[in-house]
Amino acid sequence: MAQVMMKDLNKKYDEVHAVKDVNLHIRDKEFVVLVGPSGCGKSTTLRMVAGLEEITAGEITIGDRVVNDLPPKDRDIAMVFQNYALYPHMTVYDNMAFGLKMRKFPKAEIAKRVGDAAEILGIQELLKRKPRQLSGGQRQRVAVGRAIVRHPQVFLFDEPLSNLDAKLRVQMRVELKRLHERLETTAIYVTHDQVEAMTLGDRVVVMKDGWIQQVGEPLELYGHPANRFVAGFIGSPSMNFVEVTVADANGALWADTPGLRVKVPPVSAGRLGPYKGQRVTLGIRPEDLRVATGADSADYSFDTVVEVVEPLGSEILLDLKAGPNVIVARVDPTVRVKHQDKMRLSLHPERVHFFDNKTELAI
Amino acid sequence: MAGRGGSGSGMVEGARWRKWVYFNVPMTVFIVGTLFPFYWMFVTAFRPDGELYRPWRAINNTPFWTTHPTFEHMVYLFKQTMFGTWMYNTMLIALASTVISLFCGLLAGYALARLRFPFAGSMGTGIFVTYLVPPTLLFIPLANIIRDFRLGDTPWSLILTYPTFLIPFCTWLLMGYFKTIPKELEECARIDGASRIRAMVQIVFPIATPGILSAGIFAFTLSWNEFLYALVFLSSPQQKTVPVGVLSELIRGDVFFWGPLMAGALLGSVPVALIYSFFVEHYVAGLTGAVKG
Amino acid sequence: MGRARDIRLAYLLLAPALLLLLTALAYPIGWEVWTSFTDLSPLNDRPTAFVGLDNYRRLAADPAFWRAAANTVAYAAVTTAVKLVLGLGLALLLARPFRGRALVFLAIFLPWAYPASVSVIGWYWTLSPPIPTAYSVFMGQMKYVVDGALGGGAWAFISVTLFNIWRGSSFIGIFLLAGINAIPPELFECAVLESKSAWRRFWLVTVPLLKPFLALAVFLALTTAFADLANVWMLTAGRIVYPVLGTHAYWLAIHGGQFGPASALSLTLAPFLLAILYVLFRMFDPPEREHA
Repeated sequence: MAQVMMKDLNKKYDEVHAVKDVNLHIRDKEFVVLVGPSGCGKSTTLRMVAGLEEITAGEITIGDRVVNDLPPKDRDIAMVFQNYALYPHMTVYDNMAFGLKMRKFPKAEIAKRVGDAAEILGIQELLKRKPRQLSGGQRQRVAVGRAIVRHPQVFLFDEPLSNLDAKLRVQMRVELKRLHERLETTAIYVTHDQVEAMTLGDRVVVMKDGWIQQVGEPLELYGHPANRFVAGFIGSPSMNFVEVTVADANGALWADTPGLRVKVPPVSAGRLGPYKGQRVTLGIRPEDLRVATGADSADYSFDTVVEVVEPLGSEILLDLKAGPNVIVARVDPTVRVKHQDKMRLSLHPERVHFFDNKTELAI
Repeated sequence: MAGRGGSGSGMVEGARWRKWVYFNVPMTVFIVGTLFPFYWMFVTAFRPDGELYRPWRAINNTPFWTTHPTFEHMVYLFKQTMFGTWMYNTMLIALASTVISLFCGLLAGYALARLRFPFAGSMGTGIFVTYLVPPTLLFIPLANIIRDFRLGDTPWSLILTYPTFLIPFCTWLLMGYFKTIPKELEECARIDGASRIRAMVQIVFPIATPGILSAGIFAFTLSWNEFLYALVFLSSPQQKTVPVGVLSELIRGDVFFWGPLMAGALLGSVPVALIYSFFVEHYVAGLTGAVKG
Repeated sequence: MGRARDIRLAYLLLAPALLLLLTALAYPIGWEVWTSFTDLSPLNDRPTAFVGLDNYRRLAADPAFWRAAANTVAYAAVTTAVKLVLGLGLALLLARPFRGRALVFLAIFLPWAYPASVSVIGWYWTLSPPIPTAYSVFMGQMKYVVDGALGGGAWAFISVTLFNIWRGSSFIGIFLLAGINAIPPELFECAVLESKSAWRRFWLVTVPLLKPFLALAVFLALTTAFADLANVWMLTAGRIVYPVLGTHAYWLAIHGGQFGPASALSLTLAPFLLAILYVLFRMFDPPEREHA
């Protein structure tokens, strides 16, 4: 059973409190992604699990052992680094065999394991080469291969795809996912890229400033973000935020601000009751906005002026202004508009989010 | 790079003129000025005695080259003086002190570059500062200590004292080099199952080979060239090193034995020149850091 | 946990170096300071007496000491200044790759790599050649003229200075070259866009970025010249023609057997060196303290 448990985990560097009270239970065979902006503490947390950073407070358990005092080599983990960390003076074979040699595995066993891993990753022809003769993608595969041969309880990934060019990144993402399905080993993956997080994770942990903001399955984070940060972080282009006042009129609640006035959908109305007369933040994703048609209710529509048109081919991103508010909308590629055109947008009532202005939590 | 020579903008003649004045001329001056003494030594070493002392206005005078190269000075050197012994002594001492200093420098350099511990800063600074203590300040007390320990006139007097200026230098060089090696390599090794020491020896040291070579070459050169301590601590001719031997035995009073002197000068630096020419690349690489693999 | 282990390992690794340096440096210096306050000499029959500041007082009153001190300062200042300029010029010339650069490196580095005691022989020949050779007369005349014009020992000063510069400028050059290589080329490219004058680019871009290297180079040159004993001794073949503090101390100690006074003399170097150290430390940062 290779579960990983982090209990009240804290890390302090002199004055900087990098990781604050992290509590996380990662299940056996689960692929968990830690995601967040630079400095949020995700790498530090990973390195504490690896044993490369000292734990200031709290406990980490791998399998059924508390590993706080164990050196990295005794934790039965393997790590893939951002810049691959391949030993430049050794061949690919030796790189992959190093860990096993350290543990005094018999030669035959080493050969078998390295061979198997090489086959899985498609690097059999590269075994005699040195790292400097390999391309970025090949090096990354060797790095992964080096981790696989150890058959560890947990895989740790520290932004492994960040050094690859965009196309390669997409390709490797798919391969990593396939690999995980094949190997069925618990994995903790750190990245700053929310796309990687969403596509790879069984569950995603969003972190900021050392705190865990939310833990959940990707679609859960997308559809029900717990706070404004998560809402803005997940999804690209990011969610639109507009400060509105909750107004009471015509027997219903309205979200009101100069340039934009929409009804508060019934599904949210109950929760917004206490906020009557106060300001809250309304959030709506660009993909949840569409060009208003005659069939759309006027309650959920508003007028905008087009500022910038960004045609992507598969869709068009529109930068618009509703009064003083900047809104980004994703529309069909067939929509024909240009700068300064007027446009009426409609939103999906069920997909509107509200956030408390003080606590930033979702309402 | 900085703007001297051949900026390329402007007329061809203008650029060419610049190139000559700012580049070729100074370069030639440097090279000639630098190499002339060596050339002179080289020629003189092979010039027969008769030619050496030929007066200026003699008829077949060839000041800048010789028409009758001879090995007589070299022979004199080996037969009439203890030059062979001096070479052996110097080689032994240089190698031994290099090995000792590299050993200490590797360990210390690693500790300072990689490990965090109290007083790291001051210890590091302390080690570097010792490099700045000139031998002029130390030769008197060291002479006394050497005498007390009865190490005077033995190779050990030098093998144990040379590290005082070799270790700080090696530590500094290696520390800088280690810092350019990515930390992740060691971290990976530690996760793979190596203890810190094994990671240091099996991963970091092999990668640092160019830096180690540089440090070793510098150390060897510095010991080979060292003069003061060798002068003070060694007295009998069979113990002397090449620098001291050549100067003290071939210049008796005001008589200069020019031929053998030059031959000694030439031969006395052959080992260093050989090592140097093989590893010229590493000299500069070692100064500027490791290349990421 | 791991931290404690790291600390123990660190001390273990540093032990050999520290041990050797302590015994061969700290102890001798301590001994020297103590001795400078005594009249220790192997020639004395009676036990060594503590004489307090006597040695120093006698030095201060000795004109030979002040002469040596003045010589030393002049020597250090001149050689450093010239070496700096030449070294910088050399570094700039070598900064850009060109055909045969490796060979030039080789050539330029040779004076420093070559044992001084050996290359000094070449200089002997040049500066005071044997009587019958071609230009010995000329050199003799030079020596006479220079000594006549600038005072006795001037010729020796020039020879020693030239020798030092010949050996040292290449070292400084290579050192500064390493510094120039450390400057990202984009900065130069940007400067080319902003100013057409190579001279201005040099002053406004290269020099400030080279400051730490320049400071260190000056420091090394100054201190080694100041404490120079070997070079001067070799070139003057042990005769006190141009005394500097180093050779003076040598004569006192080894030939005069006066360890006490010689120690005091040697130690007069210390304040100068410390002063230079201090000034240069202010000019550039000491080795960084790494944060976690």
